[in-house]
Amino acid sequence: MYITELIINGLIQGSLYALIAIGFTMVYGILRLINFAHGDVMMIGAFLTIGLLKINLPWQISMLLILLVGGAVGFTIDKVAFRPMRGAPQVTGFIASLALSLLLQNLGILLFSAQPRNFFLPEFFRKTTLVFGLEVRYLSFVIVFSTFILLTILLLFVKKTKLGIAMRATAENLQVARLMGIRVNTTIMVAFVIGSGLAAYSGMLWGGRYGQVDPLMGFLPGLKAFVAAVIGGVGSIAGAAIGGYILGFSEILFVGLLPVGMSGYRDAFVFGLLIIILLFLPNGILGTSEEVRA
Amino acid sequence: MRLKELNLRSKIPPMAVLGLIGLIFVVIVDKFLSAYITSVISFIFLYMILAVSLNITNGFTGLFSLGHPAFMGVGGYIASLLILPVFRKEFFLPELPQWLATQQWSFFPAIVMGGLIAAIVALIIGYPVLRLKDHYLGVATIGLIFIVKVILKNNEQYTRGALGLNGLEFKTSIWWIYFWLVITVYVAWKLKFSSYGRTMLGMKENEMACSCLGSNVTALKIMAFVIGAFFAGVSGGLWAHLTTVITPDSFSPSLAFNLVVMLVIGGTGSISGSLIAAGGISLLIEYLRPLEEALGMYGLGQILISVVLLFVLIFRTRGLLGSSELKFLQKEV
Amino acid sequence: MLKLLKKARPVALVLILILLSTSILMAAGKAEDAKDKPIKLGGMYNLTGGFSSIDAPGLSGAKLKAKLINEAGGILGGRMIEVVGYDTQTDQQAAATQSKRAIDQGVVAGLGYGDTTYVMAAAPLYQSAGIPFVTSGATHPDLPKWVGDMFFMVPFGDDDQSYAIADFAWNTLGVRKVVIWTDDSMDFTLALSKFFKERFIELGGTIIHELFYQTGDTDFSAHIARLRDARDAEAVFVGSVPNEAGLTVKQIREAGIKIPIISADGYDTELVATVPGPALANDVYFSTHTYRSDDRPEVLNFIEEYIKEYKREPENAFAACGFDAVGLIADAIERAGTTEGKALQKALAETKNYQGVTGQIAYTRPSRVPVKPIAIIGVQGGKFEYLDTWWPEL
Repeated sequence: MYITELIINGLIQGSLYALIAIGFTMVYGILRLINFAHGDVMMIGAFLTIGLLKINLPWQISMLLILLVGGAVGFTIDKVAFRPMRGAPQVTGFIASLALSLLLQNLGILLFSAQPRNFFLPEFFRKTTLVFGLEVRYLSFVIVFSTFILLTILLLFVKKTKLGIAMRATAENLQVARLMGIRVNTTIMVAFVIGSGLAAYSGMLWGGRYGQVDPLMGFLPGLKAFVAAVIGGVGSIAGAAIGGYILGFSEILFVGLLPVGMSGYRDAFVFGLLIIILLFLPNGILGTSEEVRA
Repeated sequence: MRLKELNLRSKIPPMAVLGLIGLIFVVIVDKFLSAYITSVISFIFLYMILAVSLNITNGFTGLFSLGHPAFMGVGGYIASLLILPVFRKEFFLPELPQWLATQQWSFFPAIVMGGLIAAIVALIIGYPVLRLKDHYLGVATIGLIFIVKVILKNNEQYTRGALGLNGLEFKTSIWWIYFWLVITVYVAWKLKFSSYGRTMLGMKENEMACSCLGSNVTALKIMAFVIGAFFAGVSGGLWAHLTTVITPDSFSPSLAFNLVVMLVIGGTGSISGSLIAAGGISLLIEYLRPLEEALGMYGLGQILISVVLLFVLIFRTRGLLGSSELKFLQKEV
Repeated sequence: MLKLLKKARPVALVLILILLSTSILMAAGKAEDAKDKPIKLGGMYNLTGGFSSIDAPGLSGAKLKAKLINEAGGILGGRMIEVVGYDTQTDQQAAATQSKRAIDQGVVAGLGYGDTTYVMAAAPLYQSAGIPFVTSGATHPDLPKWVGDMFFMVPFGDDDQSYAIADFAWNTLGVRKVVIWTDDSMDFTLALSKFFKERFIELGGTIIHELFYQTGDTDFSAHIARLRDARDAEAVFVGSVPNEAGLTVKQIREAGIKIPIISADGYDTELVATVPGPALANDVYFSTHTYRSDDRPEVLNFIEEYIKEYKREPENAFAACGFDAVGLIADAIERAGTTEGKALQKALAETKNYQGVTGQIAYTRPSRVPVKPIAIIGVQGGKFEYLDTWWPEL
């Protein structure tokens, strides 16, 4: 029973991390761009939800709107900040995303104040049902199922559709893809749109699960998304999801299973585990050895 | 005429002139300006040391290490523990083992020790971890920051845990920082223009080619990592005795990001670029404060800086100076 | 040589320019405390960064009090008070530098912060400059000892507030066995748990286990699983800051665990009721400053003025503390008849009966931690109710 509770919660937490990581890796896989503003798009999604719920839109429409607005934010970010930097060394984009993140966070503080605020999804999500003797909220099901469904859709998209294959090609080798006639800028834009839409959506779910949001809430999840994507293997969508689950499970299981006095060491264990994984699998779990770009 | 110019140029290195100017600057600040400005300039110099040392690790070899704060933490705590007077040790850390509780070192040796221990840690960790490439290394070094933080928090008998150590003596005068800045820049400069340095820069461009040409790539990476860690450890000790407080949270991933920002804006691989960027960004932050306070819009300064950063990055994607140095500082070939 | 110096000219020029502009800018703020100028107080707070939600209300409260004093005619024969807010961005380095700047700009006293770490980066500088520093929110009882005689606290010490809630749990709730959750990333929360354990064990209670977490954590499911597993737990003490207050209550109650949740002033925030919601915010008890649900005229007046000025209710107890910090300093200045450092310090140290919003402040103990009444507040159905007052033993 005790273990069941830990596993179920690990699954939910892992799904949240996986969702954020998948969105993160859409752009990361193609451009190797660490987009630190990803966490802040999540924050935008959460605050947007509060706004939408205030005007009493039915939740199905709100969910859709959040995905769309998230996508729009992604589109803007790409157009304004990252496209002008195409061709620059990777680390330039990373810094730009940090600057962007700082911008969004402080705008958030100026507009909304730094105070956390409460967050309630409609009643429907808070109903519960029994799973293996544990009361689980509908929201938790939504979280887990969303992650699986979206993951499957994305994997199919990337394997079967023309655009998806174009994205994989661009991720593998941008120059050659361009030479092959793929419209690289469009592909990248699509990656941003999808990634940011997912981020905004996970912001909504995150707010719903924990009930509290604030302008700085995106920093830590964004960092964890980066870690998860790298552990899973740069460029691999399924890998990012796996990375997210490993992170979610280990955070909960370490506290739940280690001796009580060691709970303070949780982060050390989690990162220790990650470093060990990297030492054995230097390209992440599902990553492949990168072509040396001569 | 020509001959004379050439002779004179090679006799007095430009760096020495710069160092002299800096010295005069420090004298003016120390003697004539307030404690506040001295503090600002001290921190600017400290950031310069950090930026240049990160340049050695990241800029020269192209490694993507975010681990500087971890080494600062190690160096900072070691230095603090050594410098803390015995009676204060009894008060703050009653459970310290005897051999440590009776130590009381003076400033310079303690700082150096902090740097050395940080360098040793870097050596031990570097060997396995530096095999990782790019972002994988980045994640591993972020992990290092967290691991160091947790170790510091949970070993209260040595570190006082989350409370940290406070009331440290204010030993870091602007002179000491300038001294270490000069050393850091000197080492970095010498390294960059040595054969090691040239190879490192080559590694940044194309590691496989270098390795094919016979360079011991791994050894060089470890060298850069360890040297950078040494100066990071030194900076940690200097930092602790400038703010007079050190806690496990003093050195966080945010600091790592700020340093990378300075590195990129100045140009990875450019020492003078790091100096300019570190100085420029820090000054900008200070200048914007009165604006924030007048408007009551706190956070505005950081927004403006973000915008400035974005602009610089959009228009000069390789940073202000790329991999080269300021014109007047360059040695003739 | 000349050629070289010529080449170096631009660099030298830049450095000189920097020096000049820096001095001009900074000199603009430099001031002595002159007779006809406003009395400046340095409000040291983290207005941006991770601590902003805790600190920002402190500055709001402080500025409000200054405004009210000025509207009533000022002090020392009509001089106005000005609280200059210095944002130290949740950065220890900025705390040190800005303190020096404040001192440079002629503040007669410093105030601020809700956390020991930042106080320790700033207050010692005031101490060595001979200027009093009054913390509005830091509660560690050893602070006056660490900083020096220029240091004063508006709030009570963590020992007092933890003893208060421990006594309440033992006597009123009849709790004998507790589980403790401690945020081990903050000295404040570590101190809370330490003093709680001390008192509870002294009374004869049992600590079943203690688990740790960190500020910024959002998920407590593993802690809850362990809590559920500890079947004989009669209450859970959460050593928390406001950011995690609502989260912990919500998750514990959502998991169906009904035992009392107890804490100290870290739980003194609207979030503890709004995040779980009225259905789940039940059986929560915490010790805090005597201002919430208190109907003393000072409190009602404070809340009314706050709403008038900022169009919202005080976010947390730190707003009231910041308010009191300024009030305390102003009162001491009047009593001292001057803003000079040593005299001001003496007047502050002699405070016997300052009626603040957060209770009566007196520095009668050798530790110089104020003797203040502590309120026990309960939350039922999302509503706060005042339950009891606890006085420290003298």
